[in-house]
Amino acid sequence: MNDWWPIALMNLLLVLLLSPLLEGVIRKLKALIHSRKGPPFTQPYLDLLKLLGKEELRSTRSFYFRVAPLAALSAILVAALLVPMGGGSPLGFGGDAIAFLYFFTLSTVAIVMGGFATGSPYAAVGSSREMMMVLTVEPVMAIALITAAAKANTLELGLMSARIADGQLTISLVVAAVALFLALQAQLGKLPFDIPEADQEIMGGPFVETSGPGLALFRLSFFARQLILGSLLIQIFLPWPAFEFIPLNVAVNLVKVFVVIILVGVIDAVVPRLRIDQSMNYFKYVIAVALFGLGFALIGQ
Amino acid sequence: MTAQDLKERIRAGLDGTVKEIVEPVPGQVYITVDRADIRRAADYVARTFNARFLITAGIDKRDTRGDFEVDHIFGLDPEKMFVTVRSSVPADDTRIDAITPSIPAAGWAEREMQDVVGIAAIGHPDPRRLVTPDDWPDGVYPLRNDFPYGHRPEPVPERPREYLDPPEGASVLPIGPFFPVLEEPSYWRVFIEGETVVGCDYRGFYNHRGIEKLGGTIQTYNEIPFTAQRICGICGFIHSTCYCEAVERAAKIEVPLRALFIRSVVLEFERIESHLLWLGIAAHILGFDTVLMQSWRIREPIMWLCEMLTGNRKAYDVNLVGGVRRDIPRETHPKILEVIASIEKQTAELVSTIPGDSTLLLRCKDVGVLSTEDTRKMAVVGPPARASNVDIDARRDHPYSAYDQIEFDVPVYDTCDVLARIMVRMDETLETIKMIRRLLDRMPEGPIMTKIEDELPPWQEGICTVEAPRGEAIHYVLTGPDNRPARWRVRAPTYPNLQSVPLALEGVQIADVPITIGSFDPCFSCTERVEIVQAKTGETRIYAQEELLELSREKSKAARR
Repeated sequence: MNDWWPIALMNLLLVLLLSPLLEGVIRKLKALIHSRKGPPFTQPYLDLLKLLGKEELRSTRSFYFRVAPLAALSAILVAALLVPMGGGSPLGFGGDAIAFLYFFTLSTVAIVMGGFATGSPYAAVGSSREMMMVLTVEPVMAIALITAAAKANTLELGLMSARIADGQLTISLVVAAVALFLALQAQLGKLPFDIPEADQEIMGGPFVETSGPGLALFRLSFFARQLILGSLLIQIFLPWPAFEFIPLNVAVNLVKVFVVIILVGVIDAVVPRLRIDQSMNYFKYVIAVALFGLGFALIGQ
Repeated sequence: MTAQDLKERIRAGLDGTVKEIVEPVPGQVYITVDRADIRRAADYVARTFNARFLITAGIDKRDTRGDFEVDHIFGLDPEKMFVTVRSSVPADDTRIDAITPSIPAAGWAEREMQDVVGIAAIGHPDPRRLVTPDDWPDGVYPLRNDFPYGHRPEPVPERPREYLDPPEGASVLPIGPFFPVLEEPSYWRVFIEGETVVGCDYRGFYNHRGIEKLGGTIQTYNEIPFTAQRICGICGFIHSTCYCEAVERAAKIEVPLRALFIRSVVLEFERIESHLLWLGIAAHILGFDTVLMQSWRIREPIMWLCEMLTGNRKAYDVNLVGGVRRDIPRETHPKILEVIASIEKQTAELVSTIPGDSTLLLRCKDVGVLSTEDTRKMAVVGPPARASNVDIDARRDHPYSAYDQIEFDVPVYDTCDVLARIMVRMDETLETIKMIRRLLDRMPEGPIMTKIEDELPPWQEGICTVEAPRGEAIHYVLTGPDNRPARWRVRAPTYPNLQSVPLALEGVQIADVPITIGSFDPCFSCTERVEIVQAKTGETRIYAQEELLELSREKSKAARR
């Protein structure tokens, strides 16, 4: 196990350097659907640089408020080290699927804590919405991963990916993939589920008081989510074709992630925002469907 | 019912209390009663004839008659008439019974009269200040004649604004004074329990520009249309038409028919432009930016068309008392027909997607319901009224310009929700396009302006209503001796509609608050015309804000440590 670090480095670099490009693609795509020209693909990079160079205004002395952006991004980066992105899972160990869910949720929890710490009514409403979203979206992700675990008979993401790639596409995997894709839209804060941020209602919710570098870190953590969750979906549920040659495998993964993100962007452009109660209702059904998928997996389909 | 019948019935119904009843302009009846009888008379007119309250005007007549006058203006829609209940108020005892307890729609109108003319409405259920700012001294009333234009009273130290307290257990979610999707300053204190709204308090009137005072003291008859055009950035032509026709009715000026047709055509252009603009904003509020971008793209050619016809994209400025300044010559008709045909096609396509968009329906159906009863009670106008099954439209009920020359449908929905308000506006846009075709088709040849040689006769009164995209605008003009009106009263459609928004908000989720407010297409600055801009108090306020900023920065510095 002395060759894990190049893969780890690759995962981190991909997440830090390439994920803003995904956002740029979504923006361009939205602009095309709007009949606009849209910003250049590089705009998210420029936005991040701009925010990093700005003064950070703080409306509270709260410790949680100060560490929230750092905690959100760090947790996401740890999650990035557990997800295979074409080169296997760099820090993989038995049961890392559970750890992945924990770290991913930790990032959301950091956002919620930071929001509540501000004392702003908008942030409080946004944070409580974020918690409600987590309560319904997180189970979908968990059930999807358990389905894959049942199929592959392991809780190690890297191994899961490899074993599923050796096998066939089954009903349970398709159902789990669809459920995970629906959860993706919510986890990435895209319409119709950008309810916790809802600019037009609560002015960015948990992020309303965050500015400058703090906001840049929050943003980057959301950009990173696109690459991480996209890779999770692709590597666990649609790993074909898998190549021995790692750079080729990484490139194929990236192309597939772009396709997933383009789908996410199209949905984002053609629907209005749901209300929190409507969204929770919706995810109840998604959970039910995901459980069906798990049932199929247990009978070996 | 003719005006004669109406006069007789009122005389009989109010046995003996009517001092005078006149009809200077056909269809406009003025009833004078004693101050003590005002509430009874207003109540009688409102109940017996199912009259809709329009507006209250307080008039300072101390220079000529030695008293004040209070006019409560009502509309009798099926009879196509206006009825004004008025009373004299002595200069040394400026009080009158409020009519708000029995006619809730008069709430703001009477509070405004208290603030700017200084006639106290006795028994008003909510006598808080409405329009004057917190540091405005007591006992100084800007619309009295002894208050010169541009006078700046010494500001009093700011007293705390009187806000309504939230109900027990509810917390306050402030929306405004500056809120991203409400483009103008307005402050809603929304009382919430969890995600549910249990009440709200509104404060507005941040943008006073002193337009009524300007019209009554500085500007002349033919300068005012250009100011009226600028009351609103979207439906400005409505206000200039409404003012001009009120003056023309008062002074009995015959306007050439061609000019009236041109006014109607431009008014209908403005409706298309405004409804498509609103659709985009409503979609943006729901986070549906694709519809925002597409509806504004569809809208743009109408702006270019208006620029070609009037010289301006938006502030058309073609109205004068007596006619219009620019013709719409026959050579331009093919171009107009081409543009509206393409807008019709694209709008119809956009509208046809609405019933199939399940997410949009989830957000709009049964949201922000304003019952038919509440709609009538608060005298709501325009698309919100027609979406709540109240069939009123000034174009049909109180015809002006050339609307009595063509036939048209008025779409009415009965579901009372946000979706109905969307559908009413979209149906209207398509109907408007048909109306423009008919107007162009029947436009007569002839002059477009009546030359007015003599001075307009003083002390004549005229009322005009114009159906703006947002609802009905009302202008009341009392002509004066110095080539300018003695009193010019403006009521924009948002004025009654905003008063009903708290009723529509009750029980909705926080997420539905912006779209509920937005579905009334509020135009905050339109409601705010009366007060005088105070450079000096403005400075004091800026200072106060800077202090606040300083405090805020100090706190940030402390937080950073």
